[in-house]
Amino acid sequence: MFGIDSVVSFVTLALDAAALRQQAIANNIANVGSAGYVPLRVNFEEQLAFARGDLTGAAVPAGARPFIETDAAGATAVMLDVEMVKLAQNAVHYQSLLKALDKHLSIMSAAVNEGRR
Amino acid sequence: MDYMAAFAISGSGMSVEKLRLDVTALNIANVHSTRGPEGTGYEPLQVISGARQAQLFRSVFAAESLRLAGGAEVLEVRTVGVAPRLVYEPNHPDADAAGFVAYPGINPVNEMVTLLAAMRAYEANVAAFNAAKTMALKALELGGNG
Repeated sequence: MFGIDSVVSFVTLALDAAALRQQAIANNIANVGSAGYVPLRVNFEEQLAFARGDLTGAAVPAGARPFIETDAAGATAVMLDVEMVKLAQNAVHYQSLLKALDKHLSIMSAAVNEGRR
Repeated sequence: MDYMAAFAISGSGMSVEKLRLDVTALNIANVHSTRGPEGTGYEPLQVISGARQAQLFRSVFAAESLRLAGGAEVLEVRTVGVAPRLVYEPNHPDADAAGFVAYPGINPVNEMVTLLAAMRAYEANVAAFNAAKTMALKALELGGNG
């Protein structure tokens, strides 16, 4: 079983990424009428894919952190429908992460209380 | 999670689209105005908006990524610069020597399209705001009842 700390810190990092992505999407939607605006993206999962080789223990890969960048694919206009899909997806993802963290903490709570409620 | 930033970003987008809506309504309201505030004819207006850089105190020290997402802002409200629509009404008090009255060159189709686009953009900003609010409230429930 993974330690309490590594799971919590890992989920916290993923929550940070989802929260930052919410900001990036909100910024894209706010600038739907701005000429010459380059949409923002959050770079996080790419770093995890790159760092997956390091994930032999259950530690968060060192240096992996979410950050906002301008769209690397060269998009020059905000596509509102795509952003709305991402918005819904991100909100559900955030809530599922919270649910997972909540469950994990309640398992730990059960362990601390020797299985009693 | 930095709720305030997410709320402020969506709020800035809403205020920009609200102004666009107001300016469009102003244009439509003045479609038959022959006298503007300065005595000359009314000129149709349009809103030019752009991305804002975050000016939070914190961002001075924060990474570049936090400075990127600052929401939207109104850059200027400028006149469109279209020629007036001349209508022959010799008895109108604002008619020129040849009997033509200069009405603002407002294109109702353009105005309605701008109006609808601004409304949809406003609604999208409200949806983003609500998503941030739901996320923040869900985070508050963490550890409540396993």
